[in-house]
Amino acid sequence: MARKDDILKSFLTNGLLESKYELKREELPSTVREALNSDKPIVKAIALIIEGLDGTSPVTDSVLRNQVTQFLNEAL
Amino acid sequence: MIIRKIQIDNYLCYYDTNTFELSEGLNIILGENGEGKTKFFEAVDWLFNGENRELEMLVSAKKLNETEIRDSFRVRVSMTVEQYGEKSIITKSFLAKKEKANECSTSSFMIEGISENSSGERTQVDGTDLLKRIFPSEILRYSMFKGEAELSIFENEDALATLVSNFPDVIRYDKYSEKGSFLREKSEKAVEDSSKRNKKNLADYNRIESEISRLQKEKDKYEVHHNSTIDEIRKIEEHLQDAEKNVSNADALDILNKRIRGIEEKISDLNVNIDENYTTFLFDENWILVNFELFQKEFADKVSAHSKTRRELQSNFDKQKGVKEGEKKAKAELLNNAVPLPIGVPSKSHMEEMLNDEICKVCNREAKKGSEEYEFIMKRLKSYLESQVIVDNEPDNAEPLFKFNYTNRLDNLSISHEDNLKNLRLIRTKIKNLFEYNEARKSDLAELNEQLTNEKIEREQIVGKSSIAEEKLIDVLKNYNAWQRDLKNRNQDQVDYAMKLKLIENELRERKEDKDKIDTNSANSFEIRTRNIFRDIETIFIDTKKKKFDEFIDKLQNKSNSFFKTINIDAFTGTIVFTQKNKVNRTIVEVELQEDGRTFYKPNQSLLTSMHISILFAISELASEIKEENFPMIFDAPTSSFGENKTAQFLNLIFETENQKILLIKDFLHTDKATKTLSIKKEFESVRRNKAFWVKLERPFDPNNLKTINSQVITL
Repeated sequence: MARKDDILKSFLTNGLLESKYELKREELPSTVREALNSDKPIVKAIALIIEGLDGTSPVTDSVLRNQVTQFLNEAL
Repeated sequence: MIIRKIQIDNYLCYYDTNTFELSEGLNIILGENGEGKTKFFEAVDWLFNGENRELEMLVSAKKLNETEIRDSFRVRVSMTVEQYGEKSIITKSFLAKKEKANECSTSSFMIEGISENSSGERTQVDGTDLLKRIFPSEILRYSMFKGEAELSIFENEDALATLVSNFPDVIRYDKYSEKGSFLREKSEKAVEDSSKRNKKNLADYNRIESEISRLQKEKDKYEVHHNSTIDEIRKIEEHLQDAEKNVSNADALDILNKRIRGIEEKISDLNVNIDENYTTFLFDENWILVNFELFQKEFADKVSAHSKTRRELQSNFDKQKGVKEGEKKAKAELLNNAVPLPIGVPSKSHMEEMLNDEICKVCNREAKKGSEEYEFIMKRLKSYLESQVIVDNEPDNAEPLFKFNYTNRLDNLSISHEDNLKNLRLIRTKIKNLFEYNEARKSDLAELNEQLTNEKIEREQIVGKSSIAEEKLIDVLKNYNAWQRDLKNRNQDQVDYAMKLKLIENELRERKEDKDKIDTNSANSFEIRTRNIFRDIETIFIDTKKKKFDEFIDKLQNKSNSFFKTINIDAFTGTIVFTQKNKVNRTIVEVELQEDGRTFYKPNQSLLTSMHISILFAISELASEIKEENFPMIFDAPTSSFGENKTAQFLNLIFETENQKILLIKDFLHTDKATKTLSIKKEFESVRRNKAFWVKLERPFDPNNLKTINSQVITL
């Protein structure tokens, strides 16, 4: 398992996703690639952040912010 | 990674070339004190960290002595390391040129690097880079330890947190929590800006924002107070715990000191009361007159006798005087009180003529020799003649018998003394009383001195039983009471601060909810939803970072305790506990030894050393797990406080750990008292190891002459 997938797993096992967003563990993606295609905005947002920080081409803070904010503003 | 070989040439006691062909696993280097162990460690340390100064101090005196003036030789420390199937040789060296006897100049040092691949091809590389690549500074920090004291690297409160945060599993989540906060703050700002565009709520919004800002500052302030109070409480509790072990002794000491002070005061009073200045008494208090009565009696008798004699003399004198006056009076009566003729009438010649003629020519009568008339004239002549003789000592009839009345003064003196005799008779009693008083006080004094000695012995016993010095023991009781008061006050402060914080947090939450309400009514709904998601993402990131940190600490704690129990097998050890503390703007990790949840009171050095080593082994193992790479560890005399048995157990434990370890110890060596010959004890045979060396000075040598010093390396 790639390091970024490990990181994603650590985040997605947080109880808040289950309690507040009603996301079931078995439904959660196991890779960042899968998460980027998730229809759950919070999952995809987290995946975008991981990709931005630990992906093949890390991005600057403002780019990261624009990417994630734009996605959320449109998705929500 | 393992160190395959260390070669030391002409470095201090290592004369000429000395090679340590090391093995994987446990390498033990035995050596008596002063025979080259620490110099081995220092040589390796010089290779890693040595500076380019005072190099002449590192030159082997024996080599220098053997070198001709103007000849040179190289001082060198070289290490061959194997990593990922490749060999690297790092050599640090400098040239020493003999200038005079016992003096040399040196070149700057150089670091050479050679890389050798698996097929044996060698390439020259930059030595400094190679060294940094093979031994990064964060690895070196936890790889080399000199003595037991250096093992306690985690006593600095930030050291462990820094170490833990260096582990990738922990550090990689730092940036997520930072970015989570950054994104959340930006989304909050977007919502705020959107809300502020709605002028209707602007006044309320600004008021709430300023209120939130004020409350946030208040909260920060009280958090600082609260945290520092918790710190203080912990410190006070530690002090109290420390003091509790001594407080009964301190209490006893306090009582004893009071008693000793009381006795000393009594002794001082007694000493003041005992007046043995008898010389002063002899004169000032007339003690010298204690036997005066006898002399006074003799004196009085003599004065009395003298007085009587005087009175008798006076009486006789007075009688004589009376007789003379009576005679005068009788004569006067005889002359019918007529005035007699002067004593020279008739003249001497007339009287002699009349006596010769035997006729009184005054009254014209016969004055025959022997007759009354004749005798009368004769008497008259005699009287005249006597009147003509000058008698010096003839008393003047008018003068008293005694011109001065000394007798009377003697009488008075005697009487006065008689009067004083009553007081003088008391002197004997006074002397007796004073001597008795002084003796009684001296007896009291002796008793008190004995009591004082006993109390002081008891005090010494108490101080002897205590682990701290007397002055500190005295302070313990004072401090103990003060600390108890402080603890009570600080606990109350903590409750107050916690309550205040809770109130502020509630108020802050309410204000934020008020702000959120305005946001909900004023800002764009998608911005609010985006912000809410960012809030949750930040929470998830921070929670995860904390969880990873906690997991790492748990793992470190479990591994440390596992090593700790093994080193101290069958002994009571307590438990190594890592505690995270949130300080202002940072988290620290503290490590301590606990027994039943309480701080282990003054663990001995051996236990502390094994605790520190256990933590280091745990870190090393964790580093290996994460980096999939083992790093060697070098310890110089890490087990000085261990006994030989415990050292053996410790070495057997290390033998089972994975990474390479090089241990320099002075155990398992025996010196024959008679022959002074060194040998290795049989017990060493049972110590499991991968390789062992013995560094010993070449015999004979002169301990005062460095030129004779050469450490030999014997591979066992």
